[in-house]
Amino acid sequence: MIKLDKNTKSQLIDLYKTKRIGLEGNILKVIDSEGDEEFASYVKDSIDRDKDSRRKRLDITKQVQSQNIDLVKWKEENVKIQLELKESLEKTENSMREMEFLKEEAEFARLEAERMKEEAENARHEAESARHEAENAKKVAEGDLELIQKKTQFELIGTIVKVALWVILGVGGVTTVMYLVALSTGLDTTVIGSTWSNIIGILLTNAFSIVGTIMGVKYASEKKD
Amino acid sequence: MIDSILLVDDENLFHLVFEDACSLLDISLSLEGIDSSDEAAKLFEGWQKDPSGKPECVFVDLNIIGSSYDGIELIRKINFEYGNHVVIGIISSSNEPEEQAKALQAGAQFWIIKSDDIEPRLEDFKKDFDGYKNRTNPFKVYK
Repeated sequence: MIKLDKNTKSQLIDLYKTKRIGLEGNILKVIDSEGDEEFASYVKDSIDRDKDSRRKRLDITKQVQSQNIDLVKWKEENVKIQLELKESLEKTENSMREMEFLKEEAEFARLEAERMKEEAENARHEAESARHEAENAKKVAEGDLELIQKKTQFELIGTIVKVALWVILGVGGVTTVMYLVALSTGLDTTVIGSTWSNIIGILLTNAFSIVGTIMGVKYASEKKD
Repeated sequence: MIDSILLVDDENLFHLVFEDACSLLDISLSLEGIDSSDEAAKLFEGWQKDPSGKPECVFVDLNIIGSSYDGIELIRKINFEYGNHVVIGIISSSNEPEEQAKALQAGAQFWIIKSDDIEPRLEDFKKDFDGYKNRTNPFKVYK
């Protein structure tokens, strides 16, 4: 404990009485008034004044502290909201980017589809053209085949006509020679004469028949074409 | 009355509240407030060699922003590394039983919950102080 001399005590008391200035703080708790009632009263008043001022300061500090806590909470809330806003903004931007990307993809797909449509159209045209070419080739082949068939037929007919003419000429010639020999030698021509006329008749008939048949066939073939 | 108190808390505004509350309640004669656990550790390291000025009681905040370690680690260091037998505990707005168990393991003797109405808790603590000094009181949470 601190002990003060009488003069100091008296000066402190006078200062308090005249200018209301007193000791403050924990120093008051270690001052021994040594039974001096007036100084003990001074110390008690100073302690009370100190406690009053501390109480006021404590209340204000608590208010400030409370407001500070609220401010910190608001600040945290604000930061949280800002973060949420930032996240939302980023999400929106991402969505926009995705939409842009999807739009580009759709545009690309549309262009691709158009390109494929054009390709398909070209392929269709090519197929059409190929079909026409094939049909033409088929017609040409059919024509060639028919020509070959006709040629073969005409060749066959020509051969038949030639053979038939040779047979006719041969038989007619032989019969005629035999008939002429019989006439020149004076032999009986009754049989050979009638035979010759029959043969000639038959041969002529057949010759005309052959010619008629050939002409008919030729006419029918030309009409068909 | 407690002779001297050391408060380790990063919140300077609480220093004023604590100082005024202690003064009003006649809890201590002197009080020093610091805002860093590193500074507190250095002080205790020094008090190992020269204990003059060493506080009788230490109040440590749980989370000390800007420091290398938290309040529980500081208590562990003071108790087990610097071997200073001071009355020591946590003063925090947290009331987590897990943290309180950790503080007990680190050698904390009390846990005072910070709030606007700190005075009744400090008054209760003042009554129990001798028990903490004699190491007879168990760990207690002042709610």
